[in-house]
Amino acid sequence: MELRERLARVAAARAVLREVEGRTWKGSGSNGTGSADGEEDLPLRGMHVKRHQIDDETHASPSEGPGRRRERDARSAPFTTSEERHDLRELGLEIVGLTPPDPLTLAHLGLRGEPPRRWEDVVFLDTETTGLSGGTGTYVFLLGTARIEGGELVLRQHLLQDLGAEREFVGAIHKELEAFRACASYNGKAFDLPILRTRVVLALRGELNVDETHLDLLHPARRLWRDRFGSTTLRQLEASILDEPRGNDDVAGALIPDRYFHWLRLRDQRIIEPVLRHNARDVISLVRIADRVARAVMDARSGRVPDHARAALALARIFERHGEAEPAYRCYESAYVEGDSTIRVRAALPYTRALERRGEIDRAIAMLETLLGLDIGTPSWREQGESRLRRLMRVRWRKQALATAS
Amino acid sequence: MTTERLFDIVNDPMRTDVRSPGRLGLEQILDAYQRDPDFASMVTRWERVPAVAPRLAPFPVWLDERIVRTLRGRGIHALYSHQAQALEAAHARKHTVVVTPTASGKTLCYDLPVLHEIAKDPSARALFIFPTKALAQDQLAELERLSTEMEIELKTYTYDGDTPPQARAAIRSAGHVVITNPDMLHTGILPHHTKWVKLFESLRYVVLDELHMYRGVFGSNVANVLRRLRRICAFYGSHPTFICTSATIANPVELARRHVEEDVVLIDESGAPRGEKVLVFVRPPVVNASLGIRRSALLTGRDIAATLLASGVQTICFTRTRVQTELLLTYLRSRFPQPQWPSDLVRGYRGGYLPSERRAIERGLRDGSVRGVVSTNALELGIDIGALQAAVLVGYPGTVASTLQQMGRAGRRGELAVAFLVATSSPTDQYVIEHPDFVLGRPPEQGLVNPDNLHVLVGHLKCAAFELPFDRAERFGTEDTPGVLSYLDEQGILHEAGGRYHWSDQAFPAEAMSLRTASNDNVVIIDTTAGRTRVIGEVDRFAAPVLVHEQAIYLHESRQFQVERLDWPSGKAYVSEVKVDHYTDAGLSVRIRVLDSFASEGVAKRSGRERFGRAHGEVLVTALATVYKKLTMYTHENVGWGKITLPEQELQTTSYWLSLAADATPGWPRERVEVALAGLGDLLHGLAPLFLMCDPHDLGLAVEVRSPHTERPTVYLFDMTPGGVGFSERLFRATDALLERAREHLAACDCESGCPSCVGPAYAIGHDVKASVAELLA
Repeated sequence: MELRERLARVAAARAVLREVEGRTWKGSGSNGTGSADGEEDLPLRGMHVKRHQIDDETHASPSEGPGRRRERDARSAPFTTSEERHDLRELGLEIVGLTPPDPLTLAHLGLRGEPPRRWEDVVFLDTETTGLSGGTGTYVFLLGTARIEGGELVLRQHLLQDLGAEREFVGAIHKELEAFRACASYNGKAFDLPILRTRVVLALRGELNVDETHLDLLHPARRLWRDRFGSTTLRQLEASILDEPRGNDDVAGALIPDRYFHWLRLRDQRIIEPVLRHNARDVISLVRIADRVARAVMDARSGRVPDHARAALALARIFERHGEAEPAYRCYESAYVEGDSTIRVRAALPYTRALERRGEIDRAIAMLETLLGLDIGTPSWREQGESRLRRLMRVRWRKQALATAS
Repeated sequence: MTTERLFDIVNDPMRTDVRSPGRLGLEQILDAYQRDPDFASMVTRWERVPAVAPRLAPFPVWLDERIVRTLRGRGIHALYSHQAQALEAAHARKHTVVVTPTASGKTLCYDLPVLHEIAKDPSARALFIFPTKALAQDQLAELERLSTEMEIELKTYTYDGDTPPQARAAIRSAGHVVITNPDMLHTGILPHHTKWVKLFESLRYVVLDELHMYRGVFGSNVANVLRRLRRICAFYGSHPTFICTSATIANPVELARRHVEEDVVLIDESGAPRGEKVLVFVRPPVVNASLGIRRSALLTGRDIAATLLASGVQTICFTRTRVQTELLLTYLRSRFPQPQWPSDLVRGYRGGYLPSERRAIERGLRDGSVRGVVSTNALELGIDIGALQAAVLVGYPGTVASTLQQMGRAGRRGELAVAFLVATSSPTDQYVIEHPDFVLGRPPEQGLVNPDNLHVLVGHLKCAAFELPFDRAERFGTEDTPGVLSYLDEQGILHEAGGRYHWSDQAFPAEAMSLRTASNDNVVIIDTTAGRTRVIGEVDRFAAPVLVHEQAIYLHESRQFQVERLDWPSGKAYVSEVKVDHYTDAGLSVRIRVLDSFASEGVAKRSGRERFGRAHGEVLVTALATVYKKLTMYTHENVGWGKITLPEQELQTTSYWLSLAADATPGWPRERVEVALAGLGDLLHGLAPLFLMCDPHDLGLAVEVRSPHTERPTVYLFDMTPGGVGFSERLFRATDALLERAREHLAACDCESGCPSCVGPAYAIGHDVKASVAELLA
C-alpha cells in the first residue's frame, strides 16, 4: 500500500482509539485563525506612539527620528526587528525611568539578585511562543522588550520569520538581553525565561544570565491585588488598575501559536499583526504595572497608606518581612480600620505585635478584647488571640508593677 | 493417597506456629508425592535438576582498587565468569547483553563498569533504565551501599513520577547515575533534554535491565525511545555504551540489536552456582470422559500449595489472571482458618493493589513473615522478594521465558527447591504438559519487536521532531523517513524551513502517547460499603467492561464486592462488600472487518483437494461486552446471567485469516460447516501462540461462516495490539507448519468428540466437532 495512504489510516485509527479510550481528541485543524480579516490596525488606546523601523541588527539610534517604519524584507531576513518609542509621562509613569530605582523598593517587590542602579539597566520582556507546554519543541517566535533610553521608553519586537532561522534569531536576542543587568517580566520566572534558556542551549549551546536578577511582577501583583480582583492576569490588572480594559480586537493568548503557524504558511501580514499588537500591549502594560506596584510601596512608606484594606494588609506584610516597622504599622492600622471583620481578624494579630513594639499595650489589649468579644474568627484563631491577650496582660501588669515599685 | 489425604496428615489442627520449621521437610513431601499413585498418575514429568558448582574468574587487573578492596571486604574474592566477561566487554566499550538465570549476580555486571568509570572520571554519567518503578528502588539502594563502602563520590538518583519537583534540578546537573523507566525517559527527560546537558554530554553507559520485557508493542515503543535517546546523545556529542541484561530468551542478540541498533556482545554462560531443584509437570485428571472435562487446575494447585504451606515451606503461586489470583487466595485461606493460623499466612499480590500494600507484602516475603503469596505475573520480574522454596504455577504462563522466570522464583543456594506446573484444560496447556521438553529442552521464545510499525514509528518521529528538528536527509528507523516527514509537513504538524523539519504544533506529543498498551487510563474501584468511600484498587480501561460491569462480583484480597454503579465516562466503579457463593464471568462479542489485504494465496492441496486460502492484512475489530454469567464458587456451575450495556471498543490492527475453499466441505450442511469452523478456530487459536511464542492474550480470534471479504467461511487470528507487531505475517508464512501441528495435536488428544484441550467442548459446540475438524485437516 502507498505509504501516504497507510499514514492516513494510522491517523484515523488513532482517532478511533482515542474515542475508545474515552478521551477527547484534539483536532489539529482548529479554526482559531479564521478571523484574520476585517481587523483594523488600531493604535494602542490612549498612547501616543512613535514607530520606526530598523534595517540592521545593530538597531537604530535615537537620532533616526520618529515617523518612519521600515522592516527588513521578510523573505530574505531570518527575523525582523521593529521599534517604537513612547513618552514616559504619556504612559502615565511616575517612577519607572523617572526616579532612580530604589533598591529597597525593588527588594520589597521580590527582586532576586543584585539590584540595578539605573532603570537603563533593566529590560522588560515578554515572549510569544509556539506552545504553552514548554519542552524543546516549543519555540519563541516573538520577543518584545522595553527599555528606558534617552528619557523615552523604547519598545522593540523581534519576530522570527521562519523556524529554520532560529539560530540567528536566538543569537540576536541573546546578544540583546545579555547587555542588561536585570530583567522584569510578568510570570517570566515560570514561563518565559525557562523557554528562552532552552532556546539558547539548543541554538547556541550557551547560557542566559539576564535573569540572575529578575523581577517577576506576578508575585507582588498577586500579593497586592488578588484578594481585591480575584485574578491577577495582566488583562485583569489592565482593566482594574490601569482602567484600560483591552478591546475585542485583542487576540486571545491561547490562539497565538496557531496564528503563527498559519502565518508561516500563508505569509499574510494581517494574520500576524494582531499578535504583534498583543505583545506590544503586554510589554507596555508590564512597565506600567511595575510603576504602579513601586508607587504603592513608596506611597505607603511616605505615609500615604492605601485605603483599601486588602492592599494595605498585603503591603503591611511586605514591609514587615523587610523589617520596616513604621510603614508596616501604618499599613496594618489602615487595614484594621478600613477592613471588614474578615480582614480585621487577619490583620489583628500582626497589628497587636506592631502596637506592642511601639509600646501601645493598652490599645492592643483593647482591640483584642473587642474582637474576641464579637465572637468571630476560627476556633484556632481565637485560641491564638486569647493566648496573645493573656501575654499582653502579663506584660502590662509587669510594667505597672515596675512603675509602682520605682 | 490423594493430595487431600496427604494434606490431612500434614495439617495437624493442633499446630499453631507455622513459622517454626515444618514437621515434614520438602524432601519428605516430594517423597510422599512420588509414592502416592494418584499423584504420580497426574505427573507427566518429574525432572531433577542437579546442583551446579560456581565458575570463578579473578578481578580484572584494571579494575579500580577501591572497588576490589570493598568486594574483598564483603567476602567476594573473585567474580563469576560471566561477570568478568561482562566487565571486560563493557570496559572495551562494546555493547553487551548478559543472559543468565535469576539470582546469578547480574547487577554487578553493570554496577562495576559504571562505578569504575565514575571513579576514574567524576564527570562521567550513566543512565539506568528499569521497566518498573519498584525495580528501580531496589537498585538504587544497592548502588548507594556499594559506592558508600567504596568511598567513591557517586550521586545516584531515581528520576520518575514520584521524584519531588524541588529535587529535580539537583538530579539533572549533579546525578552521576540517573535511574529511571522508559515512560519517564519518554515524557520527562527527552523532551526536556536542554535541562540535562550535563548528563547527555558525558553519558558513558546506558543500562537496560530486564531487556526481555521490552518486546511486543511496549518493546517497539521502547526501541523508538532509545532511537530518540541516541539522537540527542549525538547532538551533545556522546556515544554511550549499552549494557543489557535479560532473562533467558531465544534471541537475546537480535532483541538487543533491535534496541541498540549496533553490534552487541553476548554473554550467556553463567558462572553462578545453583542449588538442586525439582520440576514437576502436573496434569489434573479427566473427571468426565465424555465431556472431556478435567479437574480444575486451580483446585489441584490449591491442594499442592496447601500441602507445602502447612509444612512451613515458603511458597509462591502464580495464576494467569487477576480473578484467578483472588479465587486461589480465597480457596487457600479457607484451608487455613484463624485462629489456628495467622491471618497473614497467605497474601495476594497483583496489579490492582495499592503500592503501599505491595511493598508490605514484598517485605513480609523477604523477612519470612509472609509464608505464602498468590500472584499474577506481577511478581515474576526482578522485584526483590528473596528466594522462596517452592513455586506453584497454575496454568502455563504463556511463554517459556515466563515459565522459567516464575519457576526461578523458587531456588536458594545449597537448598532443595521445587516448582510445579499445573496445566489447565486449554490446548496450549495440554500441549505443554504433553511435551514437557517444550519448556525444558528447547530454547525459550524470541523477544519480538517491530519498531518500524507505522503506528509506533510515526508517534515517536513526532516526539523526535519536537526534541530536535529533522534534517531532510536524516533517517529514523528503516521506514521511508523523508516520506513520513513530508506527510507530517502537509498535515501541518511539521514545518519545513531551511532544509529542516520543525515541530509546528502546540501540543506536547510525548504526552499524547503511552508506551504501554494498557494505557494509564484506569477505572478506579471505590468501596462504598457502610457509607465509606475508599479506593481499594484499579483496573485498566480495556479490561473494565469484563471485570467491573454493573452487577459484577469483584474480588479483592479474597473479599467479594459487587459493582453497584459503573461511571464509565469518569472511570469510577462503586462497589460494596457482599457475601455470595458465586462469581461472575463476562463474555465479549467480537466482530471483524477487513480493511486491506496485504497478501493472499492458496494453501498446498492435500489428498488432491483444495482446502484453504490464507491471507493477512489490516482489519478493524470491534469488541462488545454483552452478557455475564454467574458461576458458583468451587463447582463453577452456571446459575444465572445478565446483560452488560457498555460502549463498543474498536481496534485497528493486522490479522491473519484462513478461509475454507469450496472443495473443503463438499456437500456439508451449513450447521456442520459452522461447527467445524468454530472447532478449527479454537484449535488454531490454542496452538498459534506456541508458534509465535507469544502470550495467548496477544492474539484474538474471530470466525465468520460467510466472510464479506473472502465470501467463504473464515477464521481470523488477529494481533491484539493496535497496528500489530507482526504476528499475522508470521502466521501467514507458517501456515503449513501450523496446520501440521494442529493435525498432530488433534490426533494425539484422547477425548472422544472434542474437549477444551483441542477443538473446544463438544457439548457446547456440536457433537461432531472433533470429527469434522479432523476431516477438514485430513
